[in-house]
Amino acid sequence: MRTVRSIRRVGLREWWHQMQYIGDAKSGTYMGRDQFGNRYFQNDNPEEEIPGRHRWVDFAQHDFNATQVPAEWHSWLQHIREEPPHKDPVMMNSSPPWKAPWIENLTGTRGAYRPYNTVKTKISAWEPKSAPRA
Amino acid sequence: MSFARPRVLVRLQPRLLISPRTTAVRSAVLAHRLLSSSTRALAQHTQGPTRSNSPDALSSGLGKSLHHVPSPETVYDAQGKEVNPYKDGPSSIDKAVHLFFFTEILRGMWIVLENFFRPPYTIMYPFEKGPLSPRFRGEHALRRYPSGEERCIACKLCESICPAQAITIESEARLDGSRRTTKYDIDMTKCIYCGFCQEACPVDAIVETQNQEYSTETREELLYNKEKLLANGDRAEAEIAANLHSDHVYR
Repeated sequence: MRTVRSIRRVGLREWWHQMQYIGDAKSGTYMGRDQFGNRYFQNDNPEEEIPGRHRWVDFAQHDFNATQVPAEWHSWLQHIREEPPHKDPVMMNSSPPWKAPWIENLTGTRGAYRPYNTVKTKISAWEPKSAPRA
Repeated sequence: MSFARPRVLVRLQPRLLISPRTTAVRSAVLAHRLLSSSTRALAQHTQGPTRSNSPDALSSGLGKSLHHVPSPETVYDAQGKEVNPYKDGPSSIDKAVHLFFFTEILRGMWIVLENFFRPPYTIMYPFEKGPLSPRFRGEHALRRYPSGEERCIACKLCESICPAQAITIESEARLDGSRRTTKYDIDMTKCIYCGFCQEACPVDAIVETQNQEYSTETREELLYNKEKLLANGDRAEAEIAANLHSDHVYR
């Protein structure tokens, strides 16, 4: 019933796409798109979507990852903020000009974070200095 | 479920609710009761005098009148001894067990069938996520002032309050005379995410963000230094500030 209704709303092509990724036929209102092309949807009708499953993301990449959702949309997706970031006045006002671009969790790749020391080491190896002979 | 339950009741009701009205139907009812049983039918006559019947004991007619139960018609054999009519048949427990366990299977299968056609309750992570509090304590971040100046003033309150001693701070005066940290390391493998550091911080510099998806493949990637913490804050500043704003009335 719900599956048939969702297929009728989103179309067969979108349904096939959903089955490849979410694994469930879902239909709802399109809330927006972030800078990476991930699309966000919402369906507040409890008859159609179980409450708690009413907000979802459709990742742009095939190799999807939970950290591909930027922080602003992350707080919407995890039900922290009521409104999506482009409609949320608090979120828009608290975005500083020096905000860094979002990068996903790069562990396991060459871009992974490697810890390093930010101060001069207190113990250093002895480097012999020889005075030039006359 | 909603269909199965009335049917079970319908099956049970005719047997339980029949009571003998007239002597004409009594034999038929008795024959019927040989097939089924109730708690009342299990009751047997006691042979010896009971306590309430003895002349020494105090007795009142109150209990008898309140709990008056018409005794079933007793059957006597040729010697005039009482015969238990349920002696040869299956016991009431046997019959109840058969009825209960058979309908139990049907009811269980019906629930399975119902849920087969219902939408699953499973939250399909990472497409859907469960609700999170704005006070959630996840990955750490160092914040900046809106001007871009870093907030941390190297007071080392977080380092001293940290119960797991996961924070290491070294500080130095900068060229313009302000005291800033040169080293701010958090060992995320030691951290217990108690949130004391962000409560101790006088300038809201160290915060725990809502990010919980920072799992790594190697252990050393969890030894955060100052640059990593500042980068976390720079990326998630809008979310951090919005969470602080939504919670500021309770602080």
